[in-house]
Parts: sequence; structure tokens; C-alpha cells
Amino acid sequence: MIGYIGKRMIAIIPIVFIATLVTFALIHISPVDPAEAYLTAAHIYPTPELLAQKRHEFGLDQPLLTQYAHTIQKIAKLDFGTSYLTNKPVWDEVKLRLPATAELAFWSMLLSVFVSIPLGILAAVYKNSWIDMVSRAISYFGASIPQFWLGYLLIFFFAVKLDWLPVEGRGSWENLVLPTITLSLILIAVYTRLLRSSVLEQLQETYVQYARTRGIRERVIMLKHVLKIAISPLITGMGMSMGKLLTGTIIVEQVFSWPGFGRYFVDAIFNRDIPVIQCYVFLAACLFIVCNLLVDLVQLVMDPRISAKGRAEH
Amino acid sequence: MSVQHRKSSALTLATMLLLLFVIVGCSNTGSGDESSSAASDQTSTKSITMSWPRDIGTMNPHTYNPSQLFAQSMLYEPLISYQKDGKLEPALAESWTISDDGKVYTFKLRQGVKFSDGTPFNAEIVKKNFDAVMKNKDTHSWLGIVGVLDKTEVVDDQTFRMTLTEPYYPVLQDLSVVRPFRFLGEAGFPDDGDTSQGIKEPVGTGPWMLAEYKQDEYAVFKRNPNYWGTAPKVDQITVKIIPDGETRVLAFEKGDLDLIYGEGVISLDAFQQLRDNDEYVTQLSDPVGTRSLLLNSSNPKLSDVRVRMALQQGFNKQAMVEGVTSGLEDPADTVLSKNYPYTNVDLEPITYDVEKSKALLDEAGWKLPAGGTVREKDGQQLDFEMIFDKTDPIQKAMAETIQAEWSELGVKVNLTGLELTVQIKRLKANDFDLYFWYNYGAPYDPHSFINVVASPGFGISETLSALPMKKELDDQVHAALSSTDETKRQELYGSILKTLQEQSAIVPISYIKKTAVYQKKISNFIFPANRDENPFVGIELGNQ
Repeated sequence: MIGYIGKRMIAIIPIVFIATLVTFALIHISPVDPAEAYLTAAHIYPTPELLAQKRHEFGLDQPLLTQYAHTIQKIAKLDFGTSYLTNKPVWDEVKLRLPATAELAFWSMLLSVFVSIPLGILAAVYKNSWIDMVSRAISYFGASIPQFWLGYLLIFFFAVKLDWLPVEGRGSWENLVLPTITLSLILIAVYTRLLRSSVLEQLQETYVQYARTRGIRERVIMLKHVLKIAISPLITGMGMSMGKLLTGTIIVEQVFSWPGFGRYFVDAIFNRDIPVIQCYVFLAACLFIVCNLLVDLVQLVMDPRISAKGRAEH
Repeated sequence: MSVQHRKSSALTLATMLLLLFVIVGCSNTGSGDESSSAASDQTSTKSITMSWPRDIGTMNPHTYNPSQLFAQSMLYEPLISYQKDGKLEPALAESWTISDDGKVYTFKLRQGVKFSDGTPFNAEIVKKNFDAVMKNKDTHSWLGIVGVLDKTEVVDDQTFRMTLTEPYYPVLQDLSVVRPFRFLGEAGFPDDGDTSQGIKEPVGTGPWMLAEYKQDEYAVFKRNPNYWGTAPKVDQITVKIIPDGETRVLAFEKGDLDLIYGEGVISLDAFQQLRDNDEYVTQLSDPVGTRSLLLNSSNPKLSDVRVRMALQQGFNKQAMVEGVTSGLEDPADTVLSKNYPYTNVDLEPITYDVEKSKALLDEAGWKLPAGGTVREKDGQQLDFEMIFDKTDPIQKAMAETIQAEWSELGVKVNLTGLELTVQIKRLKANDFDLYFWYNYGAPYDPHSFINVVASPGFGISETLSALPMKKELDDQVHAALSSTDETKRQELYGSILKTLQEQSAIVPISYIKKTAVYQKKISNFIFPANRDENPFVGIELGNQ
């Protein structure tokens, strides 16, 4: 187990390295000169002298390899440089905004888990009943509706028409309701279907039949046996849906004026604020890697073969 | 048994989980943020809430991005202010004299002006601000005055003098722009006096001061108790940062916002929808800039004035502007609208006339081959590439309209949608045939406009490069910018604008306007004459 974790940790290094390389390459392939983008964004006319000065300031006049080496050295120290736009250290700016994004992601994750687990179980247990239909409808709706549009719809009904909740901003728990629902609907769609199919699959297993004939109560069968195994694909699914959550926060933060990292990233893209873009991509890559690792570890802990061993000892 | 049992246990389980969710959901989210006073509606104070797409920034008067011009102009004031039709009026300078050679400007400063922290405004602090700006000359080189400013002196407490290396008449206009020549109080200066790296605090002489600020969320401006001029009629302006245009409209409809103001801050559809609603007031400003199409004469096919004239006459400007912008912009007859100094010149508008246009193309030797759809001359087709900003729906619609209309004339247009930065890069590299271009607006024009007519590297001089009288045009520009004689200057401007009108290399399309949408409780809303200034001068709040 420890050896496995160690191996996985070491494997992270080349992946992160590749992620930084890809980001660096993408930025340098782009036809836009960052120095020029900086000046344009600042409403300063880019004279050749100014451009040269800015390029020098940003280190863009050095060989690509040197630039890349510098980038790697800095990233290792969590130094993502200074934002072209604000002249403040990127990491400080990101640290300011991460809590807002983390808060949004956390509540969305929680909401989606708390809705999709009961909904998925009920949809499986009452297969083809009205509740299954409802869950299916929610899933189709959640998976197909564009997030920004869902955001506008929710604002229109719950904030403008009914006046129950604020339109935008962050501050109280009320501000959190609509963005959380917007962000979690797509996750609910995915998780519910995942859980439904895996519960259905487990219910067909012989061990369930056997448990029933032994007179074990249905609730115990569900919780101790079925759910324990059926939840495994859901955990994998949660790890895999990190991407949806990340892109989701970008859209949702924009729509609800949520002052998080996603919105900051959108601004950075428009302004070609390269240090910020690099930082975002790097952190996103790290998040993916860590999530994958966590999922694998949880799976390892919950490995059915371990429980099989346990049963064999009975 | 089993089915019944199974169902009941599943239901119990689901109920338990849902209950848990409700308990968790209802507990405080623990964001730790206190509700801001910005969000609470204060009935005692007269407060106006507006939105802005981006954070107001660092509020440093001497730097650019990410500070927002309108917010900078609320705190910091110029020596001279730019008013309607380009009239220059005293602001922090109550009068000024210009030496006969046009090189020495002496400003008498207004008496009794204080910064928001109560410290006096005097020639000393004016010089300190000038020094801070000139220390970073390169950054500000886009502004004409920076290139000609030789020295600044404190004559006495209330008199400030500056000397130029050569006469440059738009100096006063340059001093009225929102940045960088506005004045920060002593308390705001960093120890080394170099404001380019940041300021300690935003202290200005303006009618407002920043009272509360949360990055990316909101900013609250309160009245400056030490303001020398007429105090604002409202106590407080709250600026909510809402990056998304649709959300902005929804917040306005809910009543969270009293005012939406700016250029392109809401979609055309949204503006129309709000305009058609009797509950709200909508206003359009005078022209703040012109949307033009550059016909690059350095392309041999466009070097013939007859071709350029044919293209200008060959599309229905009026119908296009009305159709695409739903009346938010006005069709433009001249490259500069007449609300700038020296631009109220009588110029012959070039009107839509397809037949004339075809005749001109024939005359220029571009003939339609039998059975062909594109005109040819010496084995070459009459085709052009039009580049436009792919994120701008108005540009895209106009590009498509012009493409369709010109195809009727036998002119082929290939459309290329580009990212804005790439577009600008191609403009500067003179790598374009047809290009949507905007002038700078007040207070930068008309002098900034004629300056780019003569200065290479901005795309305009290149566009005009094949004009037979280009050299003469450049000389007129230099003469106008350094002239000290008002009559002569007006003559030169008239001549430059006439030449440009007749040469049809810069085709005026429409006049851009600022939009304002506000709740009925707001009155006396006036658009600022200076494109970058804030619109809160004189704004009032009714008792609704």
C-alpha cells in the first residue's frame, strides 16, 4: 500500500512536467505577442521601443529553452510571476480567489452527492416507476442544458420574478444557492445514472439473493452490501467529473459574478495575462492528478477482493 | 415480502440522506463573509447603485490597466476639463496663459482646493505629480504632451509653469484626459515618489472618495467633504462588479441596479427590450467615436480613387446601420462627427448609388467578364480580404452585409474573423485590405486622429499611402499640430478633412454612442463630454 502510494507520487512529477511544457508551448505557438497584448490592454500604443522594453521586462527576448527553464524553476517555488495586468504576484492574487471557488465547488459537490445517492438508489429500486422517470428527466435535463443558460433561467425565476434570492455576488448563504444548483445539476445527472445502473447490477447478484434467503433485513442488505459495492463507480465518476466542475466554475462564476478563480482566469485569457494562464493550467493539472490519485486510493481501500477475503474467513 | 421490504428500506435510506442534506444545507455556509453594507439598502442616504464589467482596479491616477477610467475620474481631477463640443474649461487651474511662441504655459491654480484628506492642493503637489508621470515617460509616450514637455516649475504656491520643446497646440486637451496627468495627494505617494509601482492610498481632489472596496465584488464611493466645487446631489455611488451582460440586465430588472451605463455594456437586444419598457428610462449619448472601414490604398487594387469611391457608394449605409445596430448608432457621413473642435466643416456626403458605383468600376478598368460574377482587369480579379473582430457581433454582421452588397457590384470579399490582438497586429504591420477602425473620441480627437494620418505604424498613414497628395497632407498635419494661430488651424483642419472625404480611403460607417438605462427615480443624468469621464456630475435621485 505504502509502496503503491510512493510509486504514484513519483509518477506525478513527469505528468506535471508535461503539463507545464504543453502550457508553455501553447502560449508560444499563439500568434499574439504577450508584450503587445499587455500594452494593448493598458491602452498604451505599442511603439517598437516600448515593445522591446516590455519583452525584455517579461523575459521574452531570451531563448525559449531559457524561458522554459526559468518557468520551471519558478513554479517549483510556487512563484508564478507577476500578473501583466495588475503587477501583483499571481500566486497572491490566486490565493485571494481560491477560497471562493473552493466554496462553490465544495457545496456543489455536496449537493450533487446528497441528491444523486438517494435519487439513484430509488431509481434503481423502483425501476420504471415515476421516481425513475423523474430521475431520468433530471438527468437528461442536467446533462443537456448549457450551464450559462440554466444560470440565467434560475436568476430569472428565483431572483427577478419571485424575488427569493439575490441575482449575483457573494456574501451570505443566499448568494450560494443558485450558483450551487447551476453547477451541481450536471453532476447530479451523471452520478444518478451511474449509481442507478450499478445498484441494479448489484441487485441481480447472487449474494443479494443469498442474503435475502438468510432473512437479513433489506435495509442492511442495501447499506452493508449493495451500496458498498455500488458506490465504487460513483467515486470513480466523482474523480472523473473534476473537469466538469472546473469548467463549470468558470461559467458559473461569470454568470453569477462570483469572485473566484474561474472568473479571474477568463479575464486573464481576454487580456493574455500569461502568468495567470500558466498558473491556472498548472493548478488544474495538479488537481486532476491529485483527484485521480485519491480515487485510486479510495478504490484500493474499498477493493471488493479485500471484502471477499473477509468473507472467506467466515 | 422482499419487494415490499426492499422498497421501505430504500425509502427510509433515501429519507435519511435527504434529511441530512437539508440539515447541512440549512446550516450557515461558513463563507465567513459578512454581508457588505453595499448590499444593504440604506434608506437614509441617497445612494445610486450601478454596475461595471470589471473591478475598478488600483485607483492609481498615473497608471492604466487594470484601473478603470470612470472610477479614476471620480477621484482625480485635471487642471483643465473638457466640456461639450470640445470647450476647455477651468478645473484645478482657474486660468492659464500661453506665450507667443506657444512653448510656455503658465497656470494659475484654483484657490482653496483641498484633497479629500484635507491637505492643500498647490503648485508643489502639481509638480510632484508631473514628475512622477514624466519619470515613466515611455509608458505615456502615446500622449503628445509627453513627447514635447521639457520642464515644469513651481513659480509660487498657486502658479505652475511648464515649458515645451516645441509648440504643440493640443497640450491643453492632453491635460484634460483622465490619465496620467491628474493629481494624487501627498499621502498617496510612495516614499520614493515613483507612483508607477503603486500608491499608498487613493487621495484626490475630486467630488468622490473611495469609502469601501472589495476586489472583484464592489466599490462604494462617498462624497468628498472637502470638495471645492458643487457637491454631488447623491451621497453615495455603489459600483457592483458584474462581468456578464445578461446578468447585469437581470439585476437591473430586479431593481438591484439603478443604472447601467457605458459602451457595449449590454447587448443590443437587451437594450431594445429595456427601451420598450415604460418602467425604465433609456438614453443615447452624442457620438463618442466613429466606426470606419479602412480601404488600404497601399494595395494596388485600392490605390485608384475611383475604386474606393465605388466601394463607398456601393453599399446602403443607412439600411445597414439601422438594421445591424437597431438605431443604437447613427449612419456617419464624415470620418469625424461634428462635436469635436475644428470638425464642424462643410463636407459633401458620399451617398449610396449602385449605378454610379458600377460605372466608376467600369471606368477604372474593372470589367465583368461574360458570364462571370467577379470583375477583372489585366487577368486579376477584384477581390479583397476583410478582417474583423470575431467576438464583435456588430462587426461580423456589417462585414457580411458589405460582402453581400459588394458582390452585386462584382467585387469579391473574403471574410476573416480574427482575435482582436491579431487584428491590431495586422493593422500595424500594414497587412490588410479592409479593416474596421475606430477613432479615439473626445478629448483625444481631432488632434490624435490627424496625428495618425501622418505617423506611420498606426495603419492609417499606410491606408492613405497611395494618395497623390499624401505628402501635402502630412505637412498640413504637422502645421496644424504646431500652429499657434486659431484661424490657420481651423483652415488646415478643414483642408485635411476635405481631402480625406474626397479620397474615400477611410469610409465612415456609423457614429458610436454610449448607452444609459436607468430607473425612473434617477433624474438629470448627463453623458460626460469626455468619453472616459464618469457620468455622475449632476445626477439626482427622486423621492420614489
